[in-house]
Amino acid sequence: MDDCRETMHRLYQFLDRELSDEDQREVRAHLAHCPPCQDLFRFEENVLLFIGETCRKTAAPPSLHDKVRKLCLD
Amino acid sequence: MVEGIDQMDPAVRERLEQLALGHIDALYRTALRMTRNATDAEDLVQEAYLRAFRSLYQFTEGTNLRAWLFRILTNTYINDYRRRQRRPTSASLDGIEEFYLYDHLVDSRVQPRAERPEDVVLQQLTVDDVTRAIEALPEEFRQVVLLADVEGFAYREIADIVDIPVGTVMSRLFRARRRLQRQLYDTAVEAGIIREEAAHG
Repeated sequence: MDDCRETMHRLYQFLDRELSDEDQREVRAHLAHCPPCQDLFRFEENVLLFIGETCRKTAAPPSLHDKVRKLCLD
Repeated sequence: MVEGIDQMDPAVRERLEQLALGHIDALYRTALRMTRNATDAEDLVQEAYLRAFRSLYQFTEGTNLRAWLFRILTNTYINDYRRRQRRPTSASLDGIEEFYLYDHLVDSRVQPRAERPEDVVLQQLTVDDVTRAIEALPEEFRQVVLLADVEGFAYREIADIVDIPVGTVMSRLFRARRRLQRQLYDTAVEAGIIREEAAHG
């Protein structure tokens, strides 16, 4: 079996915490002794975190809060 | 008046309304990235809340209110906005499947040379750069990226919100992320963060 390929295939499921415990252990075990895969995983994780953090900076304008709150009162 | 609303305990309704209001920032930023327009986003969020408040009696307490609200937002968007905007929705979902950004950044022909060039690039991208890259994604891709990477929903929740199978969520997310990285790479080149030699690509 091609371990790198198999690991790469599980990249996002791993980062998204969607793998079973056993699969997760397998990926970790591979990463522990494969620097190239480790680098890629680390990079991908950083990109995802970066995108999430950046986009979460946007908040609803105060005027929208007021408008939506008024919808409650009807 | 709808029968269900009358039968609802006012105290329960008020509590759910307050909980729902707590998700306004998340709903707004998603609406903003989907409509790509602040006025449309505000309208969309208001319409979604109106629908949510009206059908609050259908919500089962103890289940996922946040996912329920996002589902309403998504349906409202599809029904009201997508039709009106008349943009080609599935433009081309084909494409880039390799690790484009990573592969190109570790490539020695890409500047700046640094021990971890990929990190240097991320640090220099602005909120606007990221926003533009996301908004350039086809709608189906944008949707799953926002739900997964910005709002942190699980695959199962995204499947329920968008009404597609979990397998489709996974494949769409994979391709969306690859495409987004390609966009970010192009943005970084345009912004001069990465200098590409003419011989490249």
